[in-house]
Amino acid sequence: MTGKVAGRLPTKIIPRIAPAIPPTRSAATVARNMPPDASPSPDQTSPPQVPILELLGVFFRLGLLAIGGGVQAFMYRDLVEVKRWIDDKAYITGLAIAQVLPGANPVNVALYFGLKLRGGLGATVAVFGMVVPAFCIILTMGYAYRQLAHFPATHFILLGVAAVGVSATLSMGAKIATKLDRDWMTILIALVTFGAVGVLRLPMVPVVLVVVPVSILLFYVMERRRAG
Amino acid sequence: MLDSRLIGLILVFAPLSLLSFGGGQAIVADIQYQTVEVQKWLTNSEFVDMFALSRAAPGPSTLISALIGWQVDGFQGALVAALAMYIPSSAVVYFAASWWQRSQASPLRIAIERGLAPVAIGLVFAGVVAVVQAAKMDALALATLAVCTLILYFTKFSSYRLLFIVAAVYGALVYFAMAGHGAG
Repeated sequence: MTGKVAGRLPTKIIPRIAPAIPPTRSAATVARNMPPDASPSPDQTSPPQVPILELLGVFFRLGLLAIGGGVQAFMYRDLVEVKRWIDDKAYITGLAIAQVLPGANPVNVALYFGLKLRGGLGATVAVFGMVVPAFCIILTMGYAYRQLAHFPATHFILLGVAAVGVSATLSMGAKIATKLDRDWMTILIALVTFGAVGVLRLPMVPVVLVVVPVSILLFYVMERRRAG
Repeated sequence: MLDSRLIGLILVFAPLSLLSFGGGQAIVADIQYQTVEVQKWLTNSEFVDMFALSRAAPGPSTLISALIGWQVDGFQGALVAALAMYIPSSAVVYFAASWWQRSQASPLRIAIERGLAPVAIGLVFAGVVAVVQAAKMDALALATLAVCTLILYFTKFSSYRLLFIVAAVYGALVYFAMAGHGAG
């Protein structure tokens, strides 16, 4: 399996199997893109800077193709699993912050990770790549819709597409859930949130406004108790 | 110069942008009220069509603003409405994320990180339930969902390729169903 992936993506696989190998082509590209006076980030695990065109390519493809409501899950597959720019914990933190703040989640997540990977330029490129292709497509679809809406096939195919979107979300959720801390509080808060919004169908915004502060407070008290 | 219709679009969408907690779903009702009842830019059934379209298209569902803008004032209307929808909320996210990514490790930062993660994961699974119910998935769609989840969980198969394959298979199914119906 590793051989197959390495054959397709030769430069991406090198850091994983041999982290100590000195400069390769990809490492040289990273070094060239690094500003000489880059201030050290407080985030010790922050990845090396990624080429801006590659960043644009990833988000452009997301904006163009990620249909069916699974944009964040497609993004997870690209950023975490394929490119390995972001780790699971950083991804779920970004996802949470994007959800808590106002704005379309996919755009907020793109902005968050664009900013994390390449600063203000990265954020601009990520949002641009995410919105511009989708903007053009939706106007085209709006133009064609009155013809397409009469075909029952349109709805049927869209249902299949939605199933893929949901499956991407489900798979991402399962993968991240297995990598979270296994303490009872994490599990409890996840279950309470899911139960309130997913089962009881309470509106998301009030639930988040209550659960988020309570959750942060509980972890803060736990953290202080451990420290003190 | 901005004409009154463009200013109207900005006045409707820019405040809603700052209220769109949780994304487009939170403000759909307000968009409907503002554009159909108050401004009378479109009829209710036009709004429902645009809503369905914004869910089916790639990208964020808040792009419904672009469709409404197009209806009101053509391409410039679509552009202005989309910008009014994205610039205010993106500015908020930009400053919050900059601050967050720059802040030093502290007990509060750790608590925020650990406290947000389970809420986010709970919402991810709640979103799955919501879409499955809203889309009224039949047995075929649920089977597709199960198979695709297993593929994406256990293999490195490209999610885009999977999307195209499923769309092609569904297209073929419709084609043969219609061909069979025509012959029989």
